[in-house]
Amino acid sequence: MAGVYDFVPAVALLPFLAFVVSLFAGEYMPKRGAEAGIIATAGSLALSVWTLLTVAGITGPATSFNENLYTWVAGGEGAVTLNFGILVDPLSALMLVIVSLIAFLVHVFSLGYMNDEGETGLPRYYAGLGLFSASMLAFVFSNNLLMAFMFFELVGLCSYLLIGFWFREAAPPSAAKKAFLVTRFGDYFFLIGVVGVFATFGTGLFAPVEGAETLASFPELAEEALAGSAEEAGVNTFGYDPGTWFTILGLLVLGGVVGKSAQFPLHTWLPDAMEGPTPVSALIHAATMVAAGVYLVARMYGFYALSPTALAVIALIGGFTALFAATMGVVKQELKQVLAYSTISQYGYMMLALGAGGYTAAVFHLTTHAVFKALLFLGAGSVIIAMHHEENMWTMGGLRDRMPVTYYTFLSGSLALAGIVPFAGFWSKDEVLFEALIHGLGSEGAIGTLLLVGYAMGLVAVFFTAFYTFRMVFLTFHGEPRTDTARDPEPVRWNVKGPLTVLGIGAATVGFINMVPVAEVTGREIDYLHKWLAHGDISVTTTEHYGELLHTFAGVDPAELGPVAPGAVSLVLALAGVGAAWKLYNVPDPEEHTDKLGGAKTVLMHNYYLDEFQVWLATGVTVPLARAADKFDQGVVDGVVNGISSVSLFGGSRFRRIQSGVVTNYATLMTLSLVLLLVVFVVAGGVV
Amino acid sequence: MAIAGPVEALMAVALVGAFVVFLAPDDSAGRIATLVSLVPVAGSLWMYAVFDGSGNGLLGGDLAFESSAAWIALGRYEVAWHVGLDGISLPLLLLTTVLTTLALVSSWTPIDERQSQFYGLVLLMEASLIGVFTALDFFVWLVFWEFVLIPMYFLIGVWGGPRRKYAAIKFFVYTNVATLVMFVGFMALVFGLGDSVSSFDLPAIAQALRTPGELGTFFGIDPGTLRLVAFTLMFAGFAVKVPVFPLHTWLPDAHVEAPTPVSVLLAGVLLKMGTYALLRFNFTMLQETAIANAGVIVAFGVVSVIYGALLALAQQDLKRIVAYSSISSMGYVILGLVAFTPYGFGGATFQMIAHGLISGLLFMVVGVIYNETHTRMVGDISGMADRMPWTVGVFVAAAFGYMGLPLMAGFAGEYLIFQGAFASTVIPAAPLVTGVAMFGIVIVAGYLLWAMQRTLFGEYRLATDYDVSRAPVHDVVPLVVLLALVVALGVQPRLVYDMIQDAVNPLLHGGVLPWW
Repeated sequence: MAGVYDFVPAVALLPFLAFVVSLFAGEYMPKRGAEAGIIATAGSLALSVWTLLTVAGITGPATSFNENLYTWVAGGEGAVTLNFGILVDPLSALMLVIVSLIAFLVHVFSLGYMNDEGETGLPRYYAGLGLFSASMLAFVFSNNLLMAFMFFELVGLCSYLLIGFWFREAAPPSAAKKAFLVTRFGDYFFLIGVVGVFATFGTGLFAPVEGAETLASFPELAEEALAGSAEEAGVNTFGYDPGTWFTILGLLVLGGVVGKSAQFPLHTWLPDAMEGPTPVSALIHAATMVAAGVYLVARMYGFYALSPTALAVIALIGGFTALFAATMGVVKQELKQVLAYSTISQYGYMMLALGAGGYTAAVFHLTTHAVFKALLFLGAGSVIIAMHHEENMWTMGGLRDRMPVTYYTFLSGSLALAGIVPFAGFWSKDEVLFEALIHGLGSEGAIGTLLLVGYAMGLVAVFFTAFYTFRMVFLTFHGEPRTDTARDPEPVRWNVKGPLTVLGIGAATVGFINMVPVAEVTGREIDYLHKWLAHGDISVTTTEHYGELLHTFAGVDPAELGPVAPGAVSLVLALAGVGAAWKLYNVPDPEEHTDKLGGAKTVLMHNYYLDEFQVWLATGVTVPLARAADKFDQGVVDGVVNGISSVSLFGGSRFRRIQSGVVTNYATLMTLSLVLLLVVFVVAGGVV
Repeated sequence: MAIAGPVEALMAVALVGAFVVFLAPDDSAGRIATLVSLVPVAGSLWMYAVFDGSGNGLLGGDLAFESSAAWIALGRYEVAWHVGLDGISLPLLLLTTVLTTLALVSSWTPIDERQSQFYGLVLLMEASLIGVFTALDFFVWLVFWEFVLIPMYFLIGVWGGPRRKYAAIKFFVYTNVATLVMFVGFMALVFGLGDSVSSFDLPAIAQALRTPGELGTFFGIDPGTLRLVAFTLMFAGFAVKVPVFPLHTWLPDAHVEAPTPVSVLLAGVLLKMGTYALLRFNFTMLQETAIANAGVIVAFGVVSVIYGALLALAQQDLKRIVAYSSISSMGYVILGLVAFTPYGFGGATFQMIAHGLISGLLFMVVGVIYNETHTRMVGDISGMADRMPWTVGVFVAAAFGYMGLPLMAGFAGEYLIFQGAFASTVIPAAPLVTGVAMFGIVIVAGYLLWAMQRTLFGEYRLATDYDVSRAPVHDVVPLVVLLALVVALGVQPRLVYDMIQDAVNPLLHGGVLPWW
């Protein structure tokens, strides 16, 4: 099968090449390695688009692709074979385009943010970006769980390298460490899950690989095991009931998702990660690291859809995180901090959708969020350039007239984030909530109730989201400038305005790919994303199949309900939030109204003391435990050894005084021990 | 079967080279020794290229480069010079030769007195290590096993740090006593076999022990108990070398006092003698006993993993951190061995190679920083990335390798062990036990990231009074070579894994064990 699929590996290999070139040759290039990254990600973008068109059937008959390309380890008889392979279906094709598009724009933007600002260490920066893009793209097209885990970890490494880019300061290396460590804690569970999946099913394939002998995927095997008997499906459930065991495995993998997608309670690394350069934040939040977690759940949705418990946990974590993070966003002073909490909150929505059976809604929100969050971060970057790297919003104000391109694009992104019609975020967030509502109403028993709880939290968060978003907009761009810098900001160039414009238009229009309420009202079939994810010749990764699984195994069913009324409810809430922000902050000389929250504000500023708790777990529990172990080791374990030897060493030391010198000392010991060996040998030999 | 072959040639080159270097002038000894050591590297690479062995060397597999010659008779036992390679020993041989050469190059900077003796001893040690990993006769093997200690003792005791004598003696006595214990255990088995064996040939003994009914009584001890006693003694003896908790306390002292290149060999190769011997003796010859006591054995492994990692977390000296982390990494090997699954054995063996390369790399890079700063204390250094960017780059890569970053060798080793142990039917509550052991990957990230944050990043500061500049090229080259090997084995573990798997599979087939 020739054609574009032969080139899919190049989607990741090109940025990898850019990593190598930037690292070793960046010093000698005029833009210090940016050239390599830009060309490579442009190439990846072109290939991704071509792939998408092929999957869509525009360049020929619609196809998908799933093949093992490379055997990493072959254990032989009785052991699973561990492969690298590529899976291209509607989901991964879409994600490849998103990731390579954002990566490309971030590279271009970096010319303005890093090169024009006279940063040093640029080859290292562009090498990091290249490796980051490569790892994420390879993660996206991975066809099995182990390969996905491997690139998932590499994504973590890159975040460490880039968050800690300004290593000479104190805060970035600390934030980098925290990011890797917290996500590593999640990945610990993920890795157990990976090992468990391979041990249970003998495969980690997300979708079946057709060939001389068709290799089944693990969600299919799980489905068979649940429908029939585990032995028949060749599934080892380690003595558990298959349903229970699959739930355990699903929750273990979910550990990694919670870490990377910054969900409660492992979200604490994300706000700190703002220490990295702003374009990196854009990449991390919009398209790579944080997106990786949610994408993974979508990728193996056929497995999660089998377990009502896992679904409920996902939905509750998501709904809770959406609300929880939104409340903290309300009080933050720094532009990027507000955006960081909004990211946590928005990924919470995606999790809510996935848990509630709204697979398409989650992918939709992932898509629109990638566009508008990249836009907001790059817009924030533009503001930060203008403000000479000052990030506190209270030093800004009135930037609207001084940097119109940034303002209008940022406004487009903010309207999307707040969920105001017709911007992208409205359509996707609305669908997330709609799916949570209808599945909550339609499902019987506990799962239905739990989904409704998730829905309720998500709904309340809409108000807070709109409020903090527009508090940010008004404080930054409206009113009177509050400092001299804000009065005379530094201008930005085309390499900043270009990406902002592309994304600004995107944030206004991307939602049109899936206007479910409009489709419902007009009766026209314009919910393209639904159709996109429902098609494909790998039937087990289509939404149609997921719907059956949800119905059969999880008991999650949609209720009959029109999308218009629920959409109106969330829109009204969003507008209320915007209105409140307007009233309080869209004044020439705003004051900090959140001070009126009193003690509650302190709690929010301290992020509910979760950071403190986690730091305490590390330095207040683990470190003392380690010290105690060390004391025990020096005192007791080694003490016994020294105690035993002191008797003989006493003699030895006397002996050394007479003989003196290392050689004799050694020779004595050697002779003694050899004699002993010989004695034992002879004595024992004589007995036999 | 040849009387002498490539294995003897490699040993001879190292041995003759050692004596040449002893006589060479100090200022050229390092160069000569390095050149000499390239011969075993080339030779072992050639052996890798033409390797045609298959199966397990002790269980009747086809050995490559085998040679045998009658040597002496001890009582009614014949001692023969018998060496050969299978898929387990060849990777370890490669590890030995490559790491020796790199350690020699990395000695050029720090070793500035009595060079000819230093380099000669390193070559002497290489010759004995080659013997340890190739010998197939117990007596020959034991001679090499013991002989390794002699150069090591001097290398620590003469060129080491302030407490070098204490560390050297502790190392020597501890491991020597361990050998004694192991020796008693093994001889009990040999005598217990009675007339079944008439030599110390390891394959013959292994196969006899795996044949039901061959082991008789000894000293009035019934065969079952005899197996248990022998297993315990041998396990204890080898566990010192690995080292396994609670027999590990010689290790940090030896590492801290030893000069860096010696630490590289100690962590990189000498520890693997312990796990290699465990695999060859305990887990090949006494499988029933190992399986029956899997719960106890795996507990030693898991405790080593977690306890070693916690100890590493409490250290302030970079070398001590790396030293304790070895205890943790080698605990995984125990976990893999006791799993009795294809990936358990294969992963454990692969982990020996992977850990050899990565710990060697990490020690080396700490050494390069020490060469410039003359301190290893975390609190004394900060912001080294500012002054030694490439060295620090390698440090970061090595540390992530140690943390088990995918596409580096350490991940492959650990992952395969986890995969093998999880599905084990031998380890009680295997998934749970494996899950507990895996927590090591979180702690290792904790202490390495913390140490890096403190020493490599932040504002440049140095408590000692030295002028830090970029490391000389010959300090960096070994780092790059090792890093390249680590990445190559991480991307394509099959470079050595296929032969390893082929050699460990017979451990699961036939013999006294059912195949599952």
